[in-house]
Amino acid sequence: MDIVPQLVVNSVIAGSLYALITLGFNLIYGTTKFFNLAHGVFAACGAYTVFWLVKIANLPLNLFVACAIGVICAGFLGWMLDVLVFLPLRKRKASSMVLMVASLGAVTAIQAVLAILFTSQFQTLETGGAGSYAYDVLGAIITETQIIIIVSSVCVVAMLGYIARYTTFGKAVEAVRDDEEIARMVGINTNRIISKVFFIGSAIAGLAGILIGFDTGIEPIMGMNILLKGTIAAIIGGVGSLYGGFLGAFVLGFVENFGIWKISGEWKDAIAFIVLIIFLLVRPQGIIKR
Amino acid sequence: MAYLIHLAIISSLYAILGISLNLVVGYAGLLSVTHAAFYGIGAYTTALLTLYAGWGFFTSLVCGMAIAGCAACGIAIISGRFKGDYYALVSFGFNIIVFSILLNWQTLTRGPLGIPGIPRPVVLGMPLVQNGHFLLLALALLGVVYMASEWIARSPFGRALKGIREDEEVLRVFGYHVATYKTIICSISAMCAAVAGSLFASYISYIDPSTFTLNESIFILSIIILGGLANMRGSIVGALIFVLLPELLRFVGFPPDIAAQTRQVVYGLILILLMMYRPQGIMGEYAL
Repeated sequence: MDIVPQLVVNSVIAGSLYALITLGFNLIYGTTKFFNLAHGVFAACGAYTVFWLVKIANLPLNLFVACAIGVICAGFLGWMLDVLVFLPLRKRKASSMVLMVASLGAVTAIQAVLAILFTSQFQTLETGGAGSYAYDVLGAIITETQIIIIVSSVCVVAMLGYIARYTTFGKAVEAVRDDEEIARMVGINTNRIISKVFFIGSAIAGLAGILIGFDTGIEPIMGMNILLKGTIAAIIGGVGSLYGGFLGAFVLGFVENFGIWKISGEWKDAIAFIVLIIFLLVRPQGIIKR
Repeated sequence: MAYLIHLAIISSLYAILGISLNLVVGYAGLLSVTHAAFYGIGAYTTALLTLYAGWGFFTSLVCGMAIAGCAACGIAIISGRFKGDYYALVSFGFNIIVFSILLNWQTLTRGPLGIPGIPRPVVLGMPLVQNGHFLLLALALLGVVYMASEWIARSPFGRALKGIREDEEVLRVFGYHVATYKTIICSISAMCAAVAGSLFASYISYIDPSTFTLNESIFILSIIILGGLANMRGSIVGALIFVLLPELLRFVGFPPDIAAQTRQVVYGLILILLMMYRPQGIMGEYAL
């Protein structure tokens, strides 16, 4: 029985991380309508930027400044991938499958570049002291980093909700999401909006990657693992829906962590995909339908 | 020479995998990223049956084909409802589930330790210890798979598949049972992949789950996209290029770890460039 509080805490932490990935993923999917498999790799890019700044270059930076640079870097790379690869493809009216395969190529290449630059070993961002202090909440252990993870996912969803509802940019994104052609007709520069969406989405992914780096560690292939979970969460919650994805991430976090209550933790990935397949069969539109 | 024979064997294995995946992706138009799972099922069936049950290579090969075919049939029934990128995502999922089973069902598969000491096939009372002889077997099986696939592709069944790829609704209106067609072609493709798996297991004589990951499925998909969808010869060409290209990189003189990663960079860039400039691949007749 004493394990239940810990399982709940773990589920919430996992859910928050998945939510960060899902939010960016959904944002991009909403406007471009294809599964951007390269989304997760920007998590790794963000984390490795911080790793380079703090551990290799050893710059005398405040940790928060380093994290901010990492987030911006990830966003910038996402923007660049859109401009270099996805924008030309979109102009050629490529199908969503072509875009998906191109993003698959991008993941393979970027992951390998990271492995060449930083070796493929599992490394940690942990700098000793910062973020590792652990609290005891009703018999469950939670570290400072993990609290930051939960807080930032709530902040990000609130921020995105605010942007979508109250800013011109948010409304433009909404217009592109509903119908790109018509949005263009009424004078919205759709490609510019989509590029910005890529920047924001990838920056959020970068944030997730950095947080994972501080919580457990980083490796070049971390992007793919986290992306698969983010995609599953997006589909469970309803693809393209902001709050749906947030909800889906927590559903996935809970199912995964309670699923391995009695069996070995290695089955987590399989459980996640079984949940996905069940959802696709029973409720393909997700919890919240757009 | 021994090195060239080794490369030829690996190329023919990937050619078998490519041709069989082409049946599903090129002809039926289903973007499947789960081929390594069937490859793994074939490899593990041969390994377990020849080592622990003492069966011959060919009986174990047939068994592996049967198991992979049944698994694919079940998977196709579930994933048949999905189209396009959802289908791809679900097939991702099946690859990861099969990989998890290989990794975690330790009493059967020994998990990450893998299975060593898989014997070579015995043909007409002679074990194929020499790689040259093994190459002949691999080429023979490649020939069988190639002819079978060509025959399927040209048959009325294959034409119906192409119709499904182009416009599923029309075929349904004409009274074709689309789901059955998809299920059958997925099973056939999985059975051919199991052949490659059995060959791989008995050739390398050691297997572990790390060979049958999602990355391997992506690699096989890259082969057929490069070679060209809906073209069997294209798959063979794609396999040759993708197996030989990294060997050239080896001669450039990178250390092995870097060379392996450079290979990945090259594969990734090839995929992106193909999508941007030549989505139908080298000799394909169908583009995604």
